[in-house]
Amino acid sequence: MVAANKTSILVLDDETIVLKRLRPALEKAGYEVEVFSRSSEASERITQKDFEIVITDLKMPGLDGMQFLTMVKERSPTTEVIVITGFATMETAKESFQKGAFDFLAKPFKLGEIQEIVKKAEAKVLKNRMQ
Amino acid sequence: MNWIFGWFKQTLRHGRGPSKQVPFATLFGLFQTILALNNQILDLIAGMGTKLGGNYVFDRQYIRSTCEQLADLVYKLIYNLNAMAPGKYPALYDAFRTIHQEIQEELAGRLVIPQTDYTMPYHLISRDFGDVVGSKNANLAEVKNLLGLPTPEGFAITTRAFQSFLKHNELQEKIQGIATSWENEEITTEAAEAEIKALIMSGTVHPGLQKAIRKALDDLCLRAGDKDVHLALRSSAKGEDTEMSFAGQYLSVLNETPGKVLDSYKEVLASTYPRSAMEYRRQKGFAEGEVAMAVGCQLMIDTKVSGVLYTLDPRSPEREVMLLTANWGLGAPLVAGEVSADEYAVARKSPHSVTAINIVRKETALFPKQGGGTEFRLLDEALQTRSALTDDLINSIVEEGLIIERHFKKPQDIEWAFDQSDRLFILQTRPLRIKAQSGHMACDISSALKKYPIIFENKGVVAQEGIGAGKAFLIKTDDDLVAFPEGAVLVSRYTSPRLAKAIRKASAVITDVGSPTGHMATIAREFQVPTIVNTAVATELLRSGQEITVDARQNVVYEGTVTELCYYEFADEAFEETYEYRLLRRVLKRIAPLNLLDPSDKDFVPEACKTFHDITRFTHEKAAQQLIHLEYANVAGSQTAGRKLDFDIPLALVLIDIGGGLVVSANARSVQPKDVLSLPMRAFLEGLIVPGAWNTDPVSLDFGGFMSSLTRTFSLKMATPRYVGQNLAVISKEYANLSLRLGYHFNMIDAYISKNANDNYVYFRFLGGVTDVTRRSRRVRLLGDILAKNDFRTDVQGDLVVARIKKLDIDGMQRKMRLLGLLVAYTRQLDIRMVSEGEMTRSLEDFEALKNAHGGSTTF
Repeated sequence: MVAANKTSILVLDDETIVLKRLRPALEKAGYEVEVFSRSSEASERITQKDFEIVITDLKMPGLDGMQFLTMVKERSPTTEVIVITGFATMETAKESFQKGAFDFLAKPFKLGEIQEIVKKAEAKVLKNRMQ
Repeated sequence: MNWIFGWFKQTLRHGRGPSKQVPFATLFGLFQTILALNNQILDLIAGMGTKLGGNYVFDRQYIRSTCEQLADLVYKLIYNLNAMAPGKYPALYDAFRTIHQEIQEELAGRLVIPQTDYTMPYHLISRDFGDVVGSKNANLAEVKNLLGLPTPEGFAITTRAFQSFLKHNELQEKIQGIATSWENEEITTEAAEAEIKALIMSGTVHPGLQKAIRKALDDLCLRAGDKDVHLALRSSAKGEDTEMSFAGQYLSVLNETPGKVLDSYKEVLASTYPRSAMEYRRQKGFAEGEVAMAVGCQLMIDTKVSGVLYTLDPRSPEREVMLLTANWGLGAPLVAGEVSADEYAVARKSPHSVTAINIVRKETALFPKQGGGTEFRLLDEALQTRSALTDDLINSIVEEGLIIERHFKKPQDIEWAFDQSDRLFILQTRPLRIKAQSGHMACDISSALKKYPIIFENKGVVAQEGIGAGKAFLIKTDDDLVAFPEGAVLVSRYTSPRLAKAIRKASAVITDVGSPTGHMATIAREFQVPTIVNTAVATELLRSGQEITVDARQNVVYEGTVTELCYYEFADEAFEETYEYRLLRRVLKRIAPLNLLDPSDKDFVPEACKTFHDITRFTHEKAAQQLIHLEYANVAGSQTAGRKLDFDIPLALVLIDIGGGLVVSANARSVQPKDVLSLPMRAFLEGLIVPGAWNTDPVSLDFGGFMSSLTRTFSLKMATPRYVGQNLAVISKEYANLSLRLGYHFNMIDAYISKNANDNYVYFRFLGGVTDVTRRSRRVRLLGDILAKNDFRTDVQGDLVVARIKKLDIDGMQRKMRLLGLLVAYTRQLDIRMVSEGEMTRSLEDFEALKNAHGGSTTF
């Protein structure tokens, strides 16, 4: 029950199936995971806590993923943001990277793929912390 | 390929007179478009299928957009075929509209129950029919049909019957009115319930529904071989949520005579519908659709003792025990808590010892009454104090219980009964809700996992997701399969189809070799057994009897039984139970199955197309026929006339030359292989006619389950064009497009070979037809292996092989075409020969040997 030294991840997607699938996979891999299906609640949460990694969908009602990404990076520049989207285009990918996303993944994806990316993001977070 | 089309247009336009028919260049362009669409469609369908395996995270958006994309492509396909053959296949549009409409309804989540009758016998029900027959009926049918455990014979009166009952009696609006008053707190819950109940009881079962129920009863009597049957009617609502919230509210009418079934049907509806309908509204809000009720109608079991099994004690799951209660006679009063019952706590682990026992005095029990109905009877003094179950009976219940739990991936709440001859029947099963918050499960899963040594991880590929724990059991011989213990983990070197009989007993499967798209994956998926294939190390690192836990989600195999992981899974919603999984499975039913098999069959018509795959298949076939059968001689001049290739192998091949593909002097009706100038086609033919490739010895041909179970001898010389198929090659000096129908498989090869290596390519696509799934996937795998071994970029998905190679020089490309020729000749006979896995390995070696044997005269 020592949650303190676990890497924390926030997942935001308006399709709950994505949360249902990602949460157990990430928890079992040793991460501390919080999931949100509404961007308003997720943006509320990031004012209370700085997550090390954020995984967000792009297209959502209300505040969209691109805005959320901007918000996260403004509040906490060291947070690594992974963008997942079913509407993957070169433009959205480019825009995500310009806004500071760590990586960009098109849905559907394999669980293994996102776990790989999360691992890399975690390594970067840890490395930055050491410096 | 568009540039080729453009080039054809230009070449062919010269010197052609006006014609009423579609000009050949246009026709061939359309044909090319159809092939391209065909390829895209099959890729999309195969992709959707693999999403069900559990490796992928997909959402509704994916399902919606893929369905849209597919519908768009299929529509274009039909359009192009009708452009090739104007006005010939308008019925395809109707077939398309019907299928498209059904998919749209599914996507909209509407409570539409298309194509179902008012009743459905249990033997035709699978888990996909949950919306039609209710979850309880669907679960029971799955226990019967997939697990093969004894359940009462019977049928479901569907949710569609219920809808029609409401509609006929104009009840929907009245009920909504009452529910609204209740929501506005104008009337109490009790009053609302009573009013809705009265409405239902006052309704009449309309003649159509009456007739359907009577017919189902007659059929049931016929199956039972008894005219004088007695029945139990049980409610079965659509949707687990409502059912779980109202477990206690559901009524069974027991020991009813057929004459009273209509009344009992209403009674079951009236007693269960009002409460669940109101609760559903309370939970989901106004916008959601209504609850739909189905009812199960089952033969009564001549019950001696009955009761309930919880496969895990929900109060303290960490104790690892099952809870069993039992009483004499029928189980209804026990379920309702009206009588006291004997209680047993039984270890979940084999040998399932009874760890606690509480025998109570059982004064009365419920029994069927002569002539229908039930009555409480005073029990003999001896029975009152005796344990209702012996150790043997306890053991048989808990073993079946664990089989059911393993299948449904959750602890189960099971109603069971023994008849007078001690035969066990499962009457009902549903998931038992285990609270995630209860101490044991709230544990930190990742640190809990650290306690267990990992035997290996990330070896191989997950073919079916899930968690399974048990003793490893290594399969080496067929005898091992017979001895395979219930609940063990099946460990095997190969993924042989022979394993199928043991898979249903296995808690998980691990193999050294094998493919996630192969046969094993199909079986594992059907039985939902967690499976990891191609680990390379399993048989080496695991030994029989070793306790292991297979995490076929994270791809880890642990030493010992990781109970934390199992409970974590219990509390988690299974992937197969998610809405998205079920939705994808449901839409795929209208997309993926192939019903149109034999083009010579009279049912090979647009009207018989039930899926997008059917339409695609039909269109491809007809498009090729259109090119083959048209009399080009009169239309486009002799140059593009279709000519039969005259050679000594049983492959009816028609060649259409669109420029420089044949010797000019070639005679009008048939050509010799030597007349073929087309670079890709010539190479292909050289491979095709290699001596020894066409084995003309009589071989034993087992049509296995496809034509008949008879084994006949069959010589390839005897093969009629009906089996061999009509095949088409459109060629030019540098190009060849082959559409081959080999038996029931479809093979397309598209190649361009010129001096400019950068433009060169060969594209190979093979789609297996029917025959049983085992042989089919073996063939596909063999093709994939051979092509990959010969440098093709190869992609195998389910029943589809796609292989490409590009940018070799003329010599290199021709070698590849020769190889494909040899491969086509060789695989033509594979169905006949690939009877076992060993045969497949031999075939691969065989092929290479055959290839090498001709290294001198023909180079590959």
